[in-house]
Amino acid sequence: MRCLINKKGSSLLTENVIFIVLNVVFFVILIIFLFSRAGDAAQYEEKYAKQIALLIDAAKPETMFDLNMQDAVDIAIKEGYDPKQIVKIQDNVVTVKLRGEGKGYSYSFFNNVKTNEPYFMQNKPGFYRFVVEGYK
Amino acid sequence: MKNKRGDKVISIYWFVILLLVAGAMVYMVSVVYGGPYDVRKIEASLLTDKIADCMASGGRFVSAMPGKLNSDNLLQECHINFNNEEYSVWNNDQFYVEINVYFFGTKNPKIPTIKAGNFQLKDFCGQEGKTLSLCLDRSFYVLENQGNQAYEVNIISIVRKTEKNAV
Repeated sequence: MRCLINKKGSSLLTENVIFIVLNVVFFVILIIFLFSRAGDAAQYEEKYAKQIALLIDAAKPETMFDLNMQDAVDIAIKEGYDPKQIVKIQDNVVTVKLRGEGKGYSYSFFNNVKTNEPYFMQNKPGFYRFVVEGYK
Repeated sequence: MKNKRGDKVISIYWFVILLLVAGAMVYMVSVVYGGPYDVRKIEASLLTDKIADCMASGGRFVSAMPGKLNSDNLLQECHINFNNEEYSVWNNDQFYVEINVYFFGTKNPKIPTIKAGNFQLKDFCGQEGKTLSLCLDRSFYVLENQGNQAYEVNIISIVRKTEKNAV
């Protein structure tokens, strides 16, 4: 009789443990998926390339703006990429790159202005400074 | 025995709910993060603003406007560059702008229509579809540079860039 009770209890315990483990595994996979999508480097490359291009489109000559790119800088550091090399502007195309591999994300702006080389601010960590000089 | 069977039913039911919740979350995340950010409306709006600023200031045409503006010099006069990045089959053909200046209250044009960019994009205006070009049609009223003659300026700005904004 005692043996039967133990067997029943043991079986119940195993079922519950499997049930809980499966639940935990399920939620861990789900959370990993959500974070991997939300913190994806490609998403940030696109977001910042477009944001910078639009800011330049809206800028008048002799405009200077500082953009907080802390989250992108964090990703670049995590990926082993130099944060000073994140943003490049060539002709009228902004390119944001957060990883060693790949070409980054490029987006053009229509405002025909000269821009200074964007630079990573040492005194304002995580910020990039952009200077729109004048019309070409 | 009765309880055990009940537990099993609850377990299956529980996993069905989990799958539904997971499916909904994956779908929502895919919708939010899966597609590109569509910035064409802002871009078209900025383009319209830039042309309006180029033509008028303080409710009046700037000096020699709109007479000195034509299809050949619009981009140069208004400091606009329609070149785009190297991507897919794009060939600097992702924008189109059309400007009409009418005498106030009529549809009589003051100057010939000014056009720049890829005119074929205009064919898609008025049609519904996320993967089509984005058209923005805006008008404003303005007085001549010196005098009180009023005009209506209509600007149609079109941005394609579909592959990078809507697919």
